[in-house]
Amino acid sequence: MSQSKNRVRPHHPRTRLAADIGGTFTDIVAFEEQSGRMLLGKALSTPSHLVDGVAHGVGKAGTRYQYAKTFLHGSTIAINAILERNGAKAALLVTQGFRDIYEIGRVNRPDSYNLYFKKHVPLLPRAMIFEVRERITASGDVRTPLDETGVAAICDKLRAMGVEAVAILLLHSYRNIVHERRVKEIVADRLPGIFVTASHELSQEYREFERCSTVVANAFIGPTVRDYVAGLNRHLERSGFAGSFFIVQSTGGLYEAQQAQSQCVRMLESGPAAGVVGARALCRELGLNDTIAFDMGGTTAKAGVIHRNEVLTTSTALIGGYNQALPVQIPMIDVFEVGMGGGSIASLAENGALSVGPKSAGAEPGPACYGRGGEQPTVTDANLVLGRLDPGNFLGGEMTLDVDAAERAIVRQIAEPLGMPLRAAADGILRIATTSMSYAVKSVSTQRGLDAAAFAMIAYGGAGPLHAAAIAHEIGMERVIVPRAPGHFCAFGMLFSDLRYDFVRTWPMRLADAEFAEIERIYAGMFKAGRAALAQSKIKPSRISVERAADMRYVGQEHAVTIELPPELFRRRDRDGIKARFDDVHQLRYGTHAPNEPAEIVSLRATVTGVLKKPTPEKVATGGRAPVSDARRGTRPVFFSEHRRAERTPIYARAALKSGNRIPGPALIEEHASTTLVPPGDRVEVDALGNLVIEIGGRSR
Amino acid sequence: MKQKPSRRADAVLTAIIRNGVLAVTEEMKTNLMRTAYNMVIYEALDFTVGLFTARGETVSIGLGLPTFIRGMAETVKAMLKHFGPNGIAPGDILVTNDAYLTGSHLNHFTFAMPVFHRGVLSAFTCCMAHWTDVGGTLDGITTDIFSEGLQLPIVKYQRAGVVNEDLVEIIRMNVRIPERAMGDLRAQVTAVKTGERRFLELLDRYGRMPVLDAIQTIMDQSEAMARAHTQSIPDGVYQAESFMDDDGVEIGKPVPIRVKVIVEGDQMTIDLSQVSRQVRGFFNAGVTTGYACAQVAYKCITSPTDYPINEGSFRTLKVVLAPGTIVSAVKPAAMRWWMAFPMTIIDTIFKALEPAVPERAIAGHHADLVVAMFHGISPSDGRFFLGGFGPTGGGWGAKLTEDGVSATVCLNDGDTHNSPVEQGEAKFPVLVERHALRQDSGGAGRRRGGLGIEKTIQALVPMTINMQIDRVHCPPWGLAGGDAGAGNKVTLRLDGTEIDDLPNAKVLTRRLKPHDAWTVFSGGGGGFGSPIEREPECVRDDVAQGYVSPEAAYKLYGVVLDNEGGVDYAATERLRKMRRIGATPRRSTA
Repeated sequence: MSQSKNRVRPHHPRTRLAADIGGTFTDIVAFEEQSGRMLLGKALSTPSHLVDGVAHGVGKAGTRYQYAKTFLHGSTIAINAILERNGAKAALLVTQGFRDIYEIGRVNRPDSYNLYFKKHVPLLPRAMIFEVRERITASGDVRTPLDETGVAAICDKLRAMGVEAVAILLLHSYRNIVHERRVKEIVADRLPGIFVTASHELSQEYREFERCSTVVANAFIGPTVRDYVAGLNRHLERSGFAGSFFIVQSTGGLYEAQQAQSQCVRMLESGPAAGVVGARALCRELGLNDTIAFDMGGTTAKAGVIHRNEVLTTSTALIGGYNQALPVQIPMIDVFEVGMGGGSIASLAENGALSVGPKSAGAEPGPACYGRGGEQPTVTDANLVLGRLDPGNFLGGEMTLDVDAAERAIVRQIAEPLGMPLRAAADGILRIATTSMSYAVKSVSTQRGLDAAAFAMIAYGGAGPLHAAAIAHEIGMERVIVPRAPGHFCAFGMLFSDLRYDFVRTWPMRLADAEFAEIERIYAGMFKAGRAALAQSKIKPSRISVERAADMRYVGQEHAVTIELPPELFRRRDRDGIKARFDDVHQLRYGTHAPNEPAEIVSLRATVTGVLKKPTPEKVATGGRAPVSDARRGTRPVFFSEHRRAERTPIYARAALKSGNRIPGPALIEEHASTTLVPPGDRVEVDALGNLVIEIGGRSR
Repeated sequence: MKQKPSRRADAVLTAIIRNGVLAVTEEMKTNLMRTAYNMVIYEALDFTVGLFTARGETVSIGLGLPTFIRGMAETVKAMLKHFGPNGIAPGDILVTNDAYLTGSHLNHFTFAMPVFHRGVLSAFTCCMAHWTDVGGTLDGITTDIFSEGLQLPIVKYQRAGVVNEDLVEIIRMNVRIPERAMGDLRAQVTAVKTGERRFLELLDRYGRMPVLDAIQTIMDQSEAMARAHTQSIPDGVYQAESFMDDDGVEIGKPVPIRVKVIVEGDQMTIDLSQVSRQVRGFFNAGVTTGYACAQVAYKCITSPTDYPINEGSFRTLKVVLAPGTIVSAVKPAAMRWWMAFPMTIIDTIFKALEPAVPERAIAGHHADLVVAMFHGISPSDGRFFLGGFGPTGGGWGAKLTEDGVSATVCLNDGDTHNSPVEQGEAKFPVLVERHALRQDSGGAGRRRGGLGIEKTIQALVPMTINMQIDRVHCPPWGLAGGDAGAGNKVTLRLDGTEIDDLPNAKVLTRRLKPHDAWTVFSGGGGGFGSPIEREPECVRDDVAQGYVSPEAAYKLYGVVLDNEGGVDYAATERLRKMRRIGATPRRSTA
């Protein structure tokens, strides 16, 4: 039930409601279609019963479920179930002879000098893995027929063990699904009500360990996610919601809540993905082609890349850090994460080496300035000591920060042992944090053969707006955009998502002797499945678009590159055209190509998108060049490293700024959950949509 | 004890440069990996990239293969010596695959690029990577370097930005699959150029002298850490020995390994002069690898997670080598399988140090790549193929407080991946019958060794296989009373007959017919501490998971399980009591 005490409008404003559940906060954005008005709500997340946080946030935003015709949702529930190892009792069925592929993995040892290194820890123990007699070859032929009786016998054991979920991984199922499909039928038949998932439903791409890890993850989180989505759905229905309920996938696309209940791993990174989708929407509004979406919170900073107006994606995510990663082989937005956030701890090692992060003070005890017993200095403490945060106006005044505690922590742990003044030490902490994030941002872009300096940055998350300009300076970027309500940006991004279904099929062939009829057959199959999924949706897309891509490599090469391919290349059966496109992308990404060498296709990819009508964001009131005096909130001395001293820095209330306002740096712009810093020499301008556009170096274009 | 912080450079700038040089080598690695042609580089990540001072000292090495820790630094130093300070110009790229210099084999092409900042030589970027083929004989064992392929002395691939096309043609003519070799060459060139560009950005941003000072400070900090962690090892002379099965020529004649470690205050000496003389078969490595063995062991013991890997970490280490041993071989010793023996030497150093620092030691591991290579003519397209599934991975030794890790690459390898079964079967005419953990292969102990792997591969067309696996007869030892793990092993199935009594695991140039098969078994890790001290609940779980058989639980661990698989505590206590009285305490022989 909605807790809203707000008055009910006479006419129900048709609304799109988005809810993003994060670790600390649940963010709500309600978009009223006719007025273009956006209502915001922020509530503490309620891990034991997540819907409470949503209901509370909806109430705070002053809207109601009844008004909403769509409810869009992103949640950390799926990823947390994996990271906290809090999932179902699951079993795995695999091809005979391959019981251990999940535990063996890729046998690598990245932490290579550490004799106490650790491998990935499987989500289910070996005793829960059972072999099925069957074998399909690399070309998809049945070499050993499926032993159905054996599968039935395993099911009886599983029932006795009280298994809640079953994953199925058979070799080469990407090439021929017949055995996996049959095993699933038998399991579903003999163990009614159990969550059953087969690898080909999630990934039809080769690499048995990665596909295995994917399907096991799906089984492990399946019952939890299924029940959560069902519970939320019940809550919505009881609260008078009569629209469509969608969940954001890691691709940034939406899928039906119904589908999320079986394809759970597709929502692992739903929140961060939605932020990047929001950034892309903003790019389109502003006419920008190349941007970095930069999201910085309490423990991590994340960066996604938008190049030529397209979000860069990856085909595999590594869950739980590289060294002990559990891979999930499904397409997703390539969001690069670095362990740097407001809570990152600065420390001095015994050998005198200073470092910041990746250890974080988290929410408990939190930075020293939270006054909850934290004694390690953090990035937030450094910001406070340098005057960048207002101790009395943190989170809109909901929390008071303890400047003395912050100073004490920095002096004791850093400044005194190094013989540095307090402010220089605090400034040093921020410089280390800034450069470390700038290296990370550079690396995501250069990995793709792109130059980050030519990109604009869209900065959001609680801490993003405070650090973005400094990072942009470091990289040589010219422009930073801080959207409205940067603390709600991921929920905002959901409003701009489309329905989306992704397919991949490994089908190795040399380009020179590829059968186009066969390729068409495979694409047609994927398109058909996509359209069928769209047809099940309650909402009718304004149009449907289909895209083709292929993973290609030079013959002899191992790593394949995903190349987007226009359909006319296939219609014309243009091998040379496809090859030329591959050569170009290879040149762009790796700085080298080999036009005279033969290429091969490894996998075919298809994306079917049901394009939804997008909201038109509300414009803010127009003002003059100078902000109205209401917007001024006095000044504060802020320390800037370039000047090596504190400067009187004017403070503005963001809510009172108007379109067209220009403010020269240094300046601080404060809002509920975030503060934007405009360094000296830079200039900020408020655009028609209320975005803060910081021109680095004050250049106007 | 707090070390006095270094005053040479600003602490903040030092931290920034530390992250900066790591970012340089990370990016070199990414670019090499993604551009490389061959699986050994891309999937197996058999390469290392690095940044070096203008004198060739290591500033940062991108994590790759640990035993490459020294090869690039020595190569850069040799290049400097070869051309002289005035013989290297901006835009030059230098290359060599001289095995005695890199310490490894001819497959390791090593490229280096000088970094000139405003005309001043300020650093080198370098990249060593494994090429699948460099010519030479394909099959059997070699007994000198000349049969191992093309040898390239230190030469310039590029002079002042202009590629030496004559050299490229010489390389193309000497390798079997020139397009792959050229692909790998381009990847390596991309890597050193990437490093040059990124390091120059750092120098431009912060100034040359401040950056170079910060690098010296990073080295001093690494030195301080290594020094403190050496100081905490009790002074003494620690020795251990082990052996390799044979050199592949004189079958059954063991190759002895003896190591001596001397700890005196904050200095450590690792003396490898008593390892075997160089051998006839291709298992020799150059002197650079002798140093690498000592450095890898030293880093694991003193500063395993201190990054970047740099020269400073090794200032408190002295290495003693005699010329002409298996890790200081001289021309014309055969070197093709150089990587097999050194990791056993490193493991033997850990064994020697166990009495001094048990909490930092580790029991023996399978210590071999356990690879099988196969080649033939593909019936589908009539082309030559040369295939493999990469390193198998095996068991690692237990430690004082933790069980050994199962199914992980050997010490020579780092972030090295195996090749997926689904990929290998799609590329090569083979069928993998089985890929599984080896029950009971982990050495019994209070902490159990990790499990090895078994992998059976069937030939679908006629082909030739080659394996040069060692450590069958000297299985991974236990420490502090732990048992040894199972050794490595190979079996063959020829014409339907299983052959499991091979004298060693070196199967060279064996022709297979369709349906013939081979199985590689990688060893398990050694145990740590007496098995009868292992918590019965841990043994019960090991049996439930199938890591340990019920028989081994009884025989080795003295644990009695009831019909439901639960621990019979009373019977277990009785059995263990008898073992304690009856059996003499098991100690490792070292």
